[in-house]
Amino acid sequence: MSLRTLFLKIFMWFWLATAAMIGVLALMVLLSISETLPERTTRGTFGEALSLYSETAVRTYQRDGVQALEQFVARSLKEAGTEIFLFDANGKPLTSIDPANVQNMLQQLQQQQTPQRISQVFLGRVTWGKQVAGADGKRYFFITRFQQPGPGARPPTLSPFRIAVMILTAGLVCYLLATYLTSPVKKLQSAVQSFAEGNLDARVSPALGNRKDELADLGREFDHMAERIEALIYSQQRLLGDISHELRSPLARLSVALELARKNSTERAAPALDRIEQEGERLNKLVGQLLALTRLESGAEKIALETVMLEDLVQQVIDDANFEANPLRKEVTAIQLEACRVNGSPELLRSAIENVIRNAVRYTPTAGAVEVSLRWKLDTAELTVNDQGPGVPEAELKHIFEPFYRVSEARERTSGGAGLGLSIADRTVKLHGGTIEASNSHSGLRVLIRLPLAPNQNKPDPSQSQAAFSPASLASG
Amino acid sequence: MVLDQTRSGTTFESIKTREKMIPVLIIDDDVELTKLLEEYLQGEQFDLNAAHDGPAGLEKALNNTYSVIVLDVMLPGMSGLDVLKQLRQKSTVPVLMLTARGSELDRILGLELGADDYLAKPFNPRELVARLRAILRRTANVAPSTAQPVHVADLELHPDSRSVTCSGKPVTLTGAEFDLLYTFMRSPGKIISREDLTQAALGRPMSPMDRSIDVHVSNLRRKLGTYDTNHERIKAIRGSGYIYLLPGEQP
Repeated sequence: MSLRTLFLKIFMWFWLATAAMIGVLALMVLLSISETLPERTTRGTFGEALSLYSETAVRTYQRDGVQALEQFVARSLKEAGTEIFLFDANGKPLTSIDPANVQNMLQQLQQQQTPQRISQVFLGRVTWGKQVAGADGKRYFFITRFQQPGPGARPPTLSPFRIAVMILTAGLVCYLLATYLTSPVKKLQSAVQSFAEGNLDARVSPALGNRKDELADLGREFDHMAERIEALIYSQQRLLGDISHELRSPLARLSVALELARKNSTERAAPALDRIEQEGERLNKLVGQLLALTRLESGAEKIALETVMLEDLVQQVIDDANFEANPLRKEVTAIQLEACRVNGSPELLRSAIENVIRNAVRYTPTAGAVEVSLRWKLDTAELTVNDQGPGVPEAELKHIFEPFYRVSEARERTSGGAGLGLSIADRTVKLHGGTIEASNSHSGLRVLIRLPLAPNQNKPDPSQSQAAFSPASLASG
Repeated sequence: MVLDQTRSGTTFESIKTREKMIPVLIIDDDVELTKLLEEYLQGEQFDLNAAHDGPAGLEKALNNTYSVIVLDVMLPGMSGLDVLKQLRQKSTVPVLMLTARGSELDRILGLELGADDYLAKPFNPRELVARLRAILRRTANVAPSTAQPVHVADLELHPDSRSVTCSGKPVTLTGAEFDLLYTFMRSPGKIISREDLTQAALGRPMSPMDRSIDVHVSNLRRKLGTYDTNHERIKAIRGSGYIYLLPGEQP
């Protein structure tokens, strides 16, 4: 979009500037001609010729009368396209051509103290005037209008057709120029976009060819940067793998050694050994969560997009959570699960939803229930998880998705978990283009996850969603 | 190799008892861990032999008889998945995979390549023993089968030869997949819970957060394909389990 406008901006501004320049140039040519022409027509041979012409007109009028003058005027108009006006001393027109166009010059001539030739040029048409003294001593005012004489007298810029051709040509050149300037920007943009989407080997240079200018330099700088980022991300991925391996190997050995110790020890050591096992498990969980979070935040996690049936996934997580919650006399119940399909990684989404539901179970008191619902809202799937815990102070709500954030003093170690589960859920949901938010409901904390639905699905008919597959109908068939 | 030396130093009594013990091969580069495991598993009547890299492990697995092979996915040089791929070309010995926790891809790939079960590392050794026993129970049940072939629609399953044909064409299944399909075909059109399927196909109870049965079902679906009418053979019933559909029962 921005590129479109950049292209249009360059194109339109250059074209406008060129067109304006053409206009200004045309005007300047016109003006320069207008400035020199009056000189040429008032002095020199051209001036003399016009002077003679005016005297001939006056003589013709005086000697042969109005009729002869009219013939003279008509012949001039027909043969040379020259209009002739003759006025008497009082400014009364003696010729029949409408003098409206030359009233201005007539007034100038009448106001002259000493008779002088005057000349004006407007748009290539010359108006020339002079006071002529007749043989009888009467004063006359002679004015003539004619097309500017001489080769090239009519400036080329004055033809509207030629101006149009010039402006169109300028437009074409500007279009090519704008294309030339913006095409590397476009290539750069698509490479940056592709890189941002996780395609770490996206580069600009091959598309730019042998181009050598600032834009090409920018492209090469981008490539340089991309190479560095790619190397960093790969080394981080390698590092994550190594950390995972190096931290877990001792833990694996620890758990085997622990079991050996159990076998060779008395009952009295059991509580301490249980504690070691519990802490080892806690450490292991923490390592796993830290790795997951780091992977999500570094962008190293590439999500392989598949269509996920969210309602099935949520149901599975609920079943699993109940497996752990029921012995504690807590329950996770599905209020309503509407069929929703989203594009994403089933594993990541499962772990995100699992983290939220487990967190809810953790803070729900014994004999309490966690309520889960999945609803279809326009183009998003809305998953709400309501617990019956103490909730979270309003001021701290927005912080609970931060890593290791603990809600004031209320949270104690016994509540378990290192405070990474919600952070992982948050990053995962964002990675899938969704949002996650927490609020206090009447009963406890409510976490709302919104995920964009995969395109092309129809809202399921609620009457069909569950009943269509009753076990009874199948067993009989 | 360090391990072999230790072994040569053991007493005659232990050699005697080892004869009744179950031979297990572990392929894992963590030498200290395999030592500890050997000690622990000895008490559980397993005779653990160790290899510390892919090629050595593959060679041992192919040249000796083991009841089960425990295979770590993260191996230097040759990945555990490659070892599994090559092993499966020549042997059907049960394989329990050790995967890094959180690495779902390894797990799914491993089960697809024919591993029988998996365990996330670091694991509880009691869980390892339980898994090993489950695999052994399942493979032990297999041998004396003289059951009649089962037909369901275009599928034919022969328990004696452990072979399956679909419209007359043979289908290659792993041990777990075969047991899973056998369970389905004995009660087509009935919902079977994921717990029961896990018990039947993997020989152990389902543990929380355990997705391996779903991977096995999805592999089975893929290998069998759909009915000619383009309908799924195995359908997931949310909250209940899976059902093997007869052609006429398409929803």
